[in-house]
Amino acid sequence: MLFALLFVVVVISLRMGTYPISVSEIVMTLFRGAFGHRDEIPSEFWLVVFGLRLPRIALGILVGAALSVAGAGFQALLRNPLADPYVLGVSSGAALGAILSLTFAPHVPGVIQLAAFIGAAATIASVYFLGRRGGQLDSATLLLAGIVAASFLSAMIMFLMTTLSGHELRGMAFWLMGDLSTPPPTPNVLEWLLFLFGVFAVAAGMIYATTSDLNLILTGEEEARHLGVNVRRVKLVVYISASVLTGLAVSVSGSIGYVGLLVPHVMRMIFGTDYRLLIPTSAIGGAIAIVLADTLARTVVAPTELPVGAMTALAGAPVFIYLMRRRVR
Amino acid sequence: MFISAVAAIGAVLPMAATLSASTARVHKASQIVTVKQVTDETGRAVLVPFKVNRIVSLAPNITETIYALGLESKLAGDTDYCDTPAAAKLKPHVGSMLNPSLEAIVALHPDLVLAAANSANRRETVDALARLGVAVYATDSRTVRGMFESITHISSLAGAAQQGTALVARLQARIDALQTRLAERPLVHVLFVVWEDPLITIGQNTFIADALRWSGAESVVIAKQDWPQLALEEVVRLEPEYIVFTGSHSGSSAAQMSDLRSRPMWKGLRAVELGHVVNISEEIDRPAPGLIDAIEELAHKLHPDAFPGENTSAMNHAPADIRIDVGEEGKSCAH
Amino acid sequence: MSAGAGNNSSMVSQPIPFREAAPPRLKAEQVSYAYSATDRSAPKFTLGPTTFEAQHREIVAILGPNASGKSTLLRLLAGLIKPLSGRVEVDGVEASELDLRMRAQRIALVQQESELLFPLRVWEYVLQGRYPYGKRLRFESDEDCLLAANALAQVGADELRDRWMDQLSGGEKQRVILARALSQQPSLLLLDEPTQHLDIGGKVELLRRLRRLADENRYTVVVVTHELNLAAEFSDRIVLLHKGKCLRVGSPAEVYEREVLEEVFEAPLEVETRPSGRPRVIVRSSH
Repeated sequence: MLFALLFVVVVISLRMGTYPISVSEIVMTLFRGAFGHRDEIPSEFWLVVFGLRLPRIALGILVGAALSVAGAGFQALLRNPLADPYVLGVSSGAALGAILSLTFAPHVPGVIQLAAFIGAAATIASVYFLGRRGGQLDSATLLLAGIVAASFLSAMIMFLMTTLSGHELRGMAFWLMGDLSTPPPTPNVLEWLLFLFGVFAVAAGMIYATTSDLNLILTGEEEARHLGVNVRRVKLVVYISASVLTGLAVSVSGSIGYVGLLVPHVMRMIFGTDYRLLIPTSAIGGAIAIVLADTLARTVVAPTELPVGAMTALAGAPVFIYLMRRRVR
Repeated sequence: MFISAVAAIGAVLPMAATLSASTARVHKASQIVTVKQVTDETGRAVLVPFKVNRIVSLAPNITETIYALGLESKLAGDTDYCDTPAAAKLKPHVGSMLNPSLEAIVALHPDLVLAAANSANRRETVDALARLGVAVYATDSRTVRGMFESITHISSLAGAAQQGTALVARLQARIDALQTRLAERPLVHVLFVVWEDPLITIGQNTFIADALRWSGAESVVIAKQDWPQLALEEVVRLEPEYIVFTGSHSGSSAAQMSDLRSRPMWKGLRAVELGHVVNISEEIDRPAPGLIDAIEELAHKLHPDAFPGENTSAMNHAPADIRIDVGEEGKSCAH
Repeated sequence: MSAGAGNNSSMVSQPIPFREAAPPRLKAEQVSYAYSATDRSAPKFTLGPTTFEAQHREIVAILGPNASGKSTLLRLLAGLIKPLSGRVEVDGVEASELDLRMRAQRIALVQQESELLFPLRVWEYVLQGRYPYGKRLRFESDEDCLLAANALAQVGADELRDRWMDQLSGGEKQRVILARALSQQPSLLLLDEPTQHLDIGGKVELLRRLRRLADENRYTVVVVTHELNLAAEFSDRIVLLHKGKCLRVGSPAEVYEREVLEEVFEAPLEVETRPSGRPRVIVRSSH
């Protein structure tokens, strides 16, 4: 039934926007488009529905799902309910990559995303090597390594932003706050989206495969080992997959906060702590959250568009407080 | 669980198919209009209709230019921040300059969208609009002369080439006159204050730096960054002859002077002691016709002896010269 | 039950007719372990060569004061660490050579539970014991559920099924952890100081339960403890460790000699023999 909710949210998001277009017109556009009757649709309807809103929604689904799954994964890996996808510095690495690309090769399509992803990957690798202890990932060490990396990278970013000149850097502010309207690097929107979803599916699938192991690890690493879990391998898989998911989301849309942290908790409250359920429900929950936030961001103070990250923060803080109070019980 | 997953995929696939069809780069305009290909100031190729009746401006300086060219009837929309002239505030808005609402722009059915790439607007916005098939022309005025070219380009695109030439000629004449007056004089060294705390000034590649030179002045700070941050001791070392503030800072210049004189580091500056502190309009940073007023104003204040007999505090313009209302000090135009 | 002769000897001759001539369920032969704190410091012997055996339905108590090497021996038995010398065999197979799943199906280790990160219900916790038998992602089968329910019943904790783990008392939690171990259907059940946080009633109840489980399910149970009298009362065999050395192996009556115990536990002790034949240790009053 979560799917139903997602569907509803998508429909609402499609409907809302500055451009005046009614639900029936949207449906007509969708259907005519699906059956190849493009010429019968007013070109502007086409633009609005397929050029503007649908890509944004699709991207929102992707980013929301990726961040939530990554968040759930990190919470298990780091044994810390406060973990979110950015705690290990991946988003700072991506941001650094983006800044460097903006400075050295601005306006080349796709370069920002690529550079951001490379930055993320480099951070993932470094934190991995720093976070090992006795040959395998140790939660506490990993967390420390990640925090150190994040601070270092943030410092580098601040340094670069003040010393490099550039009108291009203005765009960074949006990127840092989360921006779902970044145009795709390839002219074919569908190819781009499929590629992204493909990466998402692989990484999320890998995490899903470890979920029964994760359930055990959460009751204690030693105990899990006694029960036959290959703890070392599971931790590595989760680390890489969750980081890839985060890197993916951040490269595409900047850093949108709170979603990766809160959605898993909310889903836990509703569906329990079994990760076999938690991962899929977090994915859908995250998608709903981001699409909703983005819809609000672009309609609440129209025509000004707020950054998505601002909406998630605004909504996220009260939710977080509510969750904290429930835990105290 | 699985079944609902399959159902969702089943719902998504048709949407995906339709997305694939939306990949055509340039959409056929719904009206059959002849278009011409031009290259905009950032080097992009743009297809612009011959007849442009609806223009959306994404930057205040462009809006100002459009009004100066007498083309305001063609202006279909501008940003929330376009406030010069005041009438521009009443036009339909499309949002902020850095992040305008693409839907709002499309909803206005523009024939042409004008953007100031690399200054007020982001290149990403221009690209996004282009990807949607909207005709976007980006100006890139980095110098005063560049501004003249932009005005010319805009006027020719909008079908007002004659007005454009005439406007540019008038503005050019004023600048030339100014140059003659200031011909033999050495450039005055100024500190141009963008922001007081932290102290931020301008780099040598900025528009303001160029405008300063036309006013017979030069920034004491040489920097490649656009907005270098400075320590006040550095200012003391550089010994500017004048300090220039823009616009909205405080009320009267007398109040500002006494405020400066009371501040610990500032009062030690020679310029402050001598009262060589100048306030000019924020138009100095805007590549639009009002800039010339600001340049003249600044020149008068920095070289008072070059303009005998003229009152520096009241700048009068022949109303026919420029069709916009500018020249008041302390006008705040967020740019 | 066994009657091992002598102290460090490994072979046990059993002329009792109804005994099956099966290989011992658990066999530790000259196992030792050393551990170096850093790569460069010399290894410190935590456990000197130790040998003993156990059959099914037997309870072995590994006895000794703190830091005598008991936990190390337990970990060796569990196959978690490889012995420096000697072998540990469970059902004839070397413990540390078993792959993870197989080992989890044979050996269950009960330790003090680490803190749970997220709230978990008792039922889910016990069901996790079936992990070594399941396929990757398959949710638990009916058989798994049956076995887990059985395990809960065997520890007398059926009514705790739907309770939250962090709301259980010490004794209840102990039973639930035991149930999870039982649902692994092991041959060998290892417990590390299970009576630590229990009151005397709880201790007795636990050991009685272990006794019953060993008998009914034919487990071999190894308990690490420092409780002299409980070990004497409930175990069939004692392995006495002191400062990493194995001093005695044998039945309680054989092992509990006053001088030895006094030396090991560094306390004035007195050993009595009860009517059942099992010894009892009391503190000697000093006049």
